Amino acid sequence: MKPQYLLVACFLLCIACKKETQEQGTLQLTFNNTVNGVPLSLNTTHYTNAAGENFTITTFKYYISNVSMIRMDNSEMAVPAAYYLVDEANAASKTIQLPAPAGEYRGIIFYLGVDSVHNVSGAQTGALDPVNGMFWSWNSGYIMAKLEGISPVSTAPNNQLTFHIGGFKVPWSAVQQVKLMSPISVTVGQGHKPQITVAADAYTWFSQPNLIRFQTISTIHVPGEDAWKISMNYRNMFRITNVTDL
Amino acid sequence: MIKYCIYVACIFLLVWSCRKGTQDVPAGPQPYKMEQPPDYFPQPVYDMSQNPLTVQGVALGRRLFYDPRLSRDSTISCGFCHQQFAAFAHFDHPLSHGIQNRNGIRSVPVLFNLIWEKDLMWDGGVNNLEIQPLTPITDPNEMGEDLARLLARLNADAKYRGMFRDAFGEGEINSQKLFRALTQFMATMNSFHTKYDSVKQKIPGVQFTAEEANGYQIFQQKCASCHKEPMFTDGSFRNNGLAYNPSLHDAGRMRITNNTSDYLKFKVPSLRNILKSPPYMHDGRFYDIFNVFEHYSTGIEQTPTLDPLLKNGIPLTDFEKRELYFFLNTLTDPGFINSKNLSEILITN
Repeated sequence: MKPQYLLVACFLLCIACKKETQEQGTLQLTFNNTVNGVPLSLNTTHYTNAAGENFTITTFKYYISNVSMIRMDNSEMAVPAAYYLVDEANAASKTIQLPAPAGEYRGIIFYLGVDSVHNVSGAQTGALDPVNGMFWSWNSGYIMAKLEGISPVSTAPNNQLTFHIGGFKVPWSAVQQVKLMSPISVTVGQGHKPQITVAADAYTWFSQPNLIRFQTISTIHVPGEDAWKISMNYRNMFRITNVTDL
Repeated sequence: MIKYCIYVACIFLLVWSCRKGTQDVPAGPQPYKMEQPPDYFPQPVYDMSQNPLTVQGVALGRRLFYDPRLSRDSTISCGFCHQQFAAFAHFDHPLSHGIQNRNGIRSVPVLFNLIWEKDLMWDGGVNNLEIQPLTPITDPNEMGEDLARLLARLNADAKYRGMFRDAFGEGEINSQKLFRALTQFMATMNSFHTKYDSVKQKIPGVQFTAEEANGYQIFQQKCASCHKEPMFTDGSFRNNGLAYNPSLHDAGRMRITNNTSDYLKFKVPSLRNILKSPPYMHDGRFYDIFNVFEHYSTGIEQTPTLDPLLKNGIPLTDFEKRELYFFLNTLTDPGFINSKNLSEILITN
């Protein structure tokens, strides 16, 4: 073998062994909770649901997980698995720094809730720690989203509204996939700080397609058909309201 | 040539000095050597690889299990209701006790061979051994404590901080470490040294007496389809024809599945150590095993979800009951209920 060939072979070997370093960036995702388009304010503001019933909200939180980015060719790419608990009472929880490979994207896909695997995998940490009050101990599984409040028409003690929406088993799984297309593309990468602002409207929980009257349903704290109906409503609660691609 | 040798020697020295040191690595938790179950046991359900047992982890779990400070008013530990001499059930107590003289609606289940259990609790509501302790710790009728408060208390305790560090490394004590430590201890509560096991393993010199052998035959004909060997349960949920108790108002498995066909169904319990763990049934209504025989023989209540196998009851003659009793006696595991590794420890600090 001539020395030149050896060199070429060496060169090829080196190229083959070169470590793939996909450049990583960050996409900032901000959730603004609203009720029928008006910014949500806990405890104080009175709202009216689609059935015309008056209510206030004292707690509003939900899980975001399993995020994928939608590339310009509509293919999807999952970002590293992570779980976020968005809690209206905790301002910091409403902004998520999403790690994503550099590139240009036209939308995002995520779960509202926690995938079934993590409902059966034992003790978890971080956002999934049961200390966050989003886990049912007597019937193992996560509360995917929680809305509590007060309505004068509620027949529950102290006119309470308790909507603990969970359940990961078919046919009543409350885990819903949400797909949001951005009006303009966003570029993730070095020197870019793209931001997407999403409005999450609590009004949708009780309006479409399943109208909920607080007079009839004011408490849900078990998995099942009622929880699933609300989940079919809240899958429509997100809208992109602002995109910054800088 | 001499130069060459020096270079080689230098390189050798360099490599030698850079070798990984093995002596001064700080000692982490030591692996806990678990006794191997008999070969006729199935594969465990609980995935031990996500929580490898260590000597320090098991010791920590044992301390937590016997520490009443896990309850809201520091009166009730796990071991308060789960007594070793009763195979970790609550001897002589039909319903579970809690803080401030509260009562639950079900009897305290035995604790052993838990890593083989798919669904925990009488209604199977808990799907993983690790998160099982969350239920009794937070249930207002049991230990009644708030998880965040308990974690704050553990983090404020120097002794626990040290033990958690030894078992799980640096960092704050979180609920995962708490639950995994308890799980490690529970994973060592295993019962497979009964006379039945010795006979099955053909240990020389051990054999059933005539009564026991007879009882075993009766068991195999009349009980084994639900109380399946070698775990003595098939893990299923069944309505075994107990009369409904309106004051307890317990729908059983239906509470978990919302399915009316699961009304009044409860998990088939293991029969291992059965004679050590009265009272019997999910609500502890029978204080004597002969009451249980009587129930299956003549007391079956006909309801729509009654298990088809019990449609005509399980008729038993007095002779058969007696022989069955002798067989059930061979399911007691003295090594387990007397094991020094599982016994209560006195917590003074």
